[in-house]
Parts: sequence; C-alpha cells; structure tokens
Amino acid sequence: MSEKYETHVKSILSECPDADPDEVAAAFEKYETEFFIPPQDAMRSILRRFKGDKTPAPSGSSGVSSAAPRTTRKVSSLSELKGDDKDIEIEVEIISHNIRDQTIRGEQKQIAFGLLEDNPWEENGQKNRWEYKDWGPNSNITPGSVVRIEGASVNEYQGKMSLNINQSTRIAVVREGTRPITAPGEPQEIASLPSDGYVCVVGRVLASRPDQIHRKDGSGSIDIVRGRLADDSGTIGFLSWEPLEHEVGTLLKIEGAQVRTFRDTPELNFGRTTKIEVYHDKNFSDADTLSQQTVLTLSELRDGARDVDAVVQITEWTKRSFTRDGEERFLWSGQIADPTGRCRMSAWSELPITEDKLPLTVRLKGVRVRAWQGIPDITVDNADQVEFLDAPPWDSELDLTNHTAEVELFELSTGASRVGVSTTATVVSVREDSGFIQRCTECRRVLRDGACAEHGPNDGNTDIRLRLAIDDGRSSVSLLTNKEATLSLLGMTETELQDTVNDLGQVAFVQSLRAKMLGKTINASGRTIVDEQGAMMLADHAAMVDEDAGLRATEIRAQWKVV
Amino acid sequence: MQSGTRSKRQSAWHMLASEFSEATLNEKGSGEYDPSFVITKLGAKVNRVVVAGLLERLEVRETSNGSTLYQGQMRDPSGVHYFSVGDYASESMRELTLSLVEKTEVGEPVLLLMVAKSRWYQTDEGAVYTSLRPEEACEIDAQRYALWLTRASEDTLQRMKHYSDSLAAEPTREGLVAAGIPEHMIDGLLVSRNHYGDIDVETYTLNVMQALDIAEGRMDAASQPVAAPTQTESDDDTQSTGTDSDESEVKDTLVSIIEQLDQGDGVDFETVLTNAVARGFDRGLAEEKLDELSNEGTLHEPRFGWFRIVG
Repeated sequence: MSEKYETHVKSILSECPDADPDEVAAAFEKYETEFFIPPQDAMRSILRRFKGDKTPAPSGSSGVSSAAPRTTRKVSSLSELKGDDKDIEIEVEIISHNIRDQTIRGEQKQIAFGLLEDNPWEENGQKNRWEYKDWGPNSNITPGSVVRIEGASVNEYQGKMSLNINQSTRIAVVREGTRPITAPGEPQEIASLPSDGYVCVVGRVLASRPDQIHRKDGSGSIDIVRGRLADDSGTIGFLSWEPLEHEVGTLLKIEGAQVRTFRDTPELNFGRTTKIEVYHDKNFSDADTLSQQTVLTLSELRDGARDVDAVVQITEWTKRSFTRDGEERFLWSGQIADPTGRCRMSAWSELPITEDKLPLTVRLKGVRVRAWQGIPDITVDNADQVEFLDAPPWDSELDLTNHTAEVELFELSTGASRVGVSTTATVVSVREDSGFIQRCTECRRVLRDGACAEHGPNDGNTDIRLRLAIDDGRSSVSLLTNKEATLSLLGMTETELQDTVNDLGQVAFVQSLRAKMLGKTINASGRTIVDEQGAMMLADHAAMVDEDAGLRATEIRAQWKVV
Repeated sequence: MQSGTRSKRQSAWHMLASEFSEATLNEKGSGEYDPSFVITKLGAKVNRVVVAGLLERLEVRETSNGSTLYQGQMRDPSGVHYFSVGDYASESMRELTLSLVEKTEVGEPVLLLMVAKSRWYQTDEGAVYTSLRPEEACEIDAQRYALWLTRASEDTLQRMKHYSDSLAAEPTREGLVAAGIPEHMIDGLLVSRNHYGDIDVETYTLNVMQALDIAEGRMDAASQPVAAPTQTESDDDTQSTGTDSDESEVKDTLVSIIEQLDQGDGVDFETVLTNAVARGFDRGLAEEKLDELSNEGTLHEPRFGWFRIVG
C-alpha cells in the first residue's frame, strides 16, 4: 500500500473494513493522476464506491435554519399597513429625497425625508404615496430608484401615516434610478438624453439646412429644417417643423423638444410648443471643437445617422445602372474600410475613382448612414462631400482589403453592427439545431418542420451551420458559423459530417459537439448584427483556441501575486 | 440612451463552489420573465455559471407530483455544488444525466463541466440555499478541468480586487464607477456590501491557491491529510478520558451535525446548538462541549462563530 495515501486509506477502511487497502490506495491514485482530484476531495466518492450507496441525503433540504428566524412582515401595498405595524418589508420607488440637519439630544444629526410610492413595477397600476423619514440616513436611497425596505415601521400622526426608516432597517436597491428626475427647464447633456420624451438642451448649431418632407398621399410637401446640435458630451440631429433661422455656430437653449428615435438614431423634434432662444455662455465650446465629435470610425456607425464625418479607404468601387420612370440612372457603390472594420458605401453622383487607383483614402463630410441587413452603408449624395487624401492617417502598410479587427466581445455586444471583426470568448452553449439544416429556396430562412414562415412548405436547400452562444463573463453573443467555418472547425468534410450525424443521431451528435467545445475558448471572425434582442455574430471562420493550463496558472500567479 | 435588456441572454460567470454556495442574497424582478439572480459575497450577480468538478453523487428522486428529479453534487477544490435535473431539462441533458447515473453507480470517476442557471430557495426559517440547474453539460478530461480551474481562479481574483477596490469607494453607483469598477460588477457590489457586511476573503485566496496548484500539476501541494474519522474517535475511549458516555455522546452528535450541515464554509454556532437541543441535549452542555471540541482540535473556526471539522 502506498504510504502517500496512508491516512486517507485508513479513513476509508474504518468505514468499510472489508475493502482491500491496495484497491483503495489505487483509487486515490487514479483520482489524483487521471482526474486531478486531490485525495481529500476524492474521499467521499471513494467512500461511496466501497461502501455502496448508503450515505444519507445531503442536509440541504432538511429545513435546518442557519439564520435567525425572521418576523418581518412582507407587504406589497402601503394600504395593507396599520398605524402600529413594525418590522415590515415593502418595495417602493423613491419619489423625492431631501436631507436636513437636526439636533437630536444635543447631537447634530442628518436625517432624510421625502416621498415614496408603492407598487413600483406596474406601469399604470394603483399607487399610494407616503412620506418617509430616514433616520439612518441610508446612502443608497436616491430619487428615482426602486428599493426594498426591510424592517421599517409605520408612524401614524393625526390620522396621517408615514414610514420610519431606522438605522437597523436594511435597504436593498432593486433598480437604480434609471429615470433621472429632472426638473422641467433643467438642461440635460446630449449624450445622456432618453430615447424618447420631452427634454431641455443647451447646444450649439453645427449644421442647419432647409429640407422638405413630401406627403405620401401626394397632397404636397412640408417645409422643414434639418440640422445638428452639439454640446461637450455629444451631438444629436434635429428636425424642426417650424422655421428656424439661427446660423451655424449659434448657441441655443431649447425647451420642450421631443426626442424620437428613427431607426437606431435618436433625433430632436422642434414643434410649435418648443421654446427656442439664443443662450449666452462664454465657456461653451466653439463649433470647431464640437464638430470633432461628428468624426466617426466605421465601428461607430448606426443606422439612420446623419451629418457623419469619417476618414475611410475605398477598396472596391463599381458602377451600376437601373431604370426609374423610364430613365436610365446610375449608382456607384463599393467596399470601404478603416482600422476598426469594413462596410459599404454608395454614391448618387460620380466620383473620380478608377479601379487602378484603388485603394483610395477619402475624407467624408456630412454623409448619412443606412443599414442593409445589419451592414452599415454610407450614402454620399453629392461629390463635394468627398475629399481625396494623399495618404491614410493610419499606418499605410495596413492592408484593409481583408483586414479583420480583433475586438473584445463586450465591445461588440454593446456597439453598432460591424463587418470585418473577430473576437475570442468561451463557448457556453451548443444549440440543438446545430448541424444540417434546410433553408427556404426563396429567402434562405431556416425551415421549421419543412416550411418557411414566409413562403410556406418547400423542399429547401441543405446547408450546414453551428448555432452557439459565446460569453466573456460580461456579455453573451449568439454565434452562427457558416458551412465552411463549421467544417473547418470540426475538421470534417461534408460527407464525414453526414455520416457522423447518421451514426449518432441528432441529439447525440449535438452532445458530441458539447463534449468538444463547451467551456472552451473559441476565436471567430465575420460580421455582427446588434439590435434590441442582443448581438449576433455571423462567422465565416472559427477555430478553438489551444491553451496550456499549467502555463496559465503560472501566469496568473505572477500577475496576481498569489504564491 | 438605454434600451431594454430584458430579452438578452444573461452572461455566465466562472466561479468556484465556495463563492456560490456561501451566497445568501438573491434578487428577482417582478415580471414573469425577469431573470433571477444569486448575489455572492464578492458582488457577482449570478444568473448563469460555468462550473466544473468531480461528480460525487447523482441519484434519482421521485417527487410528490410524480415527476422525476435527479439530484447531484459536484466537488471542486473549494467545495460542493448541488444541482438538479428535472423533466423541464432538455432531452440531451436528461440523456446525459441517465448515462452519468450509471457511471456513478459503478463508482466510475467523472469530471463534469456544466453551464447552469443559478437557483435559490429560502426555508420558512429564513435560511437561504443555492443550487444549480444545468442547461448543458459534458464530461471533460483532467486537462480541460485544469483550464477551467485557471479561468475560475483568475475571475475570482478579479472579483476580489473589485471587491476590495469598492471598499474604499463611496457606496453609490457613481462612487463605484469613479473607483474603476466595471459595469457588470456595480449592481452586485452595491447590494452585497449592504447584505453581507464585512467579509473575510482569505478563504477564497486559499481556494484559488489550491486550484492553481492543481492546474500546475502540483498535486502534492494540493493534497491534505485527512483527520481520523469521527466514528473511530467516538469508539476510542482513551481519547475521551474523564468524560462519561453522556458527554461523549454530545460531542459525537455535534460533530455529526457539523459534518452533515457543512456545505463548504462551516456551520454557524447558532445552527449547531439549535440542532443539538433539538436532539435532546442541554444547551449549556452542548455549548461547553463545542468549546472543548474546538480546543482539542477536532473542530476549527475558519471564521468567528463558524465551525468545521479539521481535515
């Protein structure tokens, strides 16, 4: 018997006197060398094996308390409370919060008071408002937040009820104040404007031009003014339904403007009730400084954006013709890139570009962005929006034609849709519908039970893909690998894959993929589509990343100084 | 410009068993589809985890409503995860569970990696227990286990740093942002500090060191001798000289209570005594014997008022 495990083996033998000590020692050795399980951790498993399955169930559910009994009464509405209730628990929204100094028994003390409101989760439900006093005062009570108050008591004075929050009361913030309570007429920073609602802003006019909106029914058109406003935090486009004659560079205070979100881009709307006045602030940044903010990289483009400036490289350019109203028209389009990724560009007027001069670096001014299937497309309306540069402002050695920018998953999941990016993350899910799929012959949608949601039943075309979820601990992205990426990732030909699926069946095939990938690191490249449902990456290449655990452990020790 | 994040998939935390099983704070929005979270002492707001370890037990339970529930436990160097697989699990997860039951029945060692949802429940007395519901899992080899250990260690160290950074900061969202705490840690840290008060992170450091030892293949450093089993101790009269049988029975009971209830971080004073009293022992005597067990080295207190069996 190996000396190494002597105490562990003895321990097992005392429970299972009939066990063979050598066998027990061999078991410890197997756990340690083959499974990296140190003997103290293998004890219970080995004990079970030699003893048979007689261990009592874990105590988890035996109902033994490990905390003091709670007498706190939980209520959902203030109306359930009586004047002498103590130690109650309720979730409320804090409406207002004020602090005042008070002398209590000769001691200066801060106490907080204000209004709170019950039923914080129902949008239009029945709500009651009470006053409260916070004797803590608790630092995490802030206006606009929803908190769970545990251990408060009710105070009744002359028939009026209020809530007392004491020093022993526990306050748990359930939702941070997402709705900043802003007094009307109080200007907000442009970058922190809500995506809809009425606001007040102070900003400088960066662009302003008359425009027309044509009524769809053909009954005429409306004169409007479009433009862009900026402060130090950011810029936002505006649309004025009323005449607006302030020149570019003018600083304005605008009250009662309505934010509307068109495509992915918020916009300010000025109407009859909007109050616009010239504002004076010597310290407000000038137009030149502010307009730097309209220079975007391709990674920052969002559908619907206007007045965008960018420096990009044109890598492909073609002329197309089409017929509208019996007249032949032309459209130029192609691929563009910058170090953060790739996208498309279209022009409605001819630019001095020929194939042999590509790639060409250009500065774009005041262009707009449309997106087509998640890929941003910059639209150039006039040739004077494009200025040709002699050299790119980045390393000219960089070949952007097939350039892929390595981007952190978190950044991809929170940014705009992008093309030409790659990322590295952990595989946390292999979906059951990975492998062979049938796509609609009309629209390439995946068929469900032999039918397309749009085009009904059809035979479909066979395709191969993997549907994974990848994760970096902060964000999760759905990853779809195309046929080529899938086959190269699995190291199989299409025939081999077909044989494997036939042999195993779909469920076991997916399980075999999990055995191969779950919890492992993957690197994938392609493009991303980001919308309200989350982020998705369509990959044309993917590979598992090999890592050495011993090396990683040593690096971690060094980096975090744990020895 | 905030948009709804409700339908987005929750990200997964790499986490050692000790951090998850010590959590007693939870959060659930009021909407039917709002995600629920377990919030750990280090401030991780956990809806989903990637965990791994030795499958120590897996057995079937018939529930009162006739459905089948598999309950299991999985051990990593820091402690144990409890998990269950029910009829609600995917077909592939149930099939895998069946094959794993067969393996554990014959005593075949299985290293498991799972992506799982966090669960918690509270007993009538107010005690909170955490457990896991695996969504997807697979058997892994020792190398992949080692890799998982490094990742879980690194992420634990990172969380410990965020935790200690947060102590010096104002306990508000703005304060934590100013202290450089990343967005995904802020909500959790704000509430965890309030709930757990001052915590001792030393055990997490020890857990990480042991996990790294294993990942580096230094099994000797990761191995610990085992204490003499409690049963022999009670049979051995020479050890308990001067104590009559009644008193040694108290000690045995205390030890078995702690053994049974310890989920990795010991059992607190009050629980030990309540259970001893429930089994018919005098509280004063139990308290005295708990002291003795502690002094003679059968028990130790990893934290004040929390008892574990030495081993």
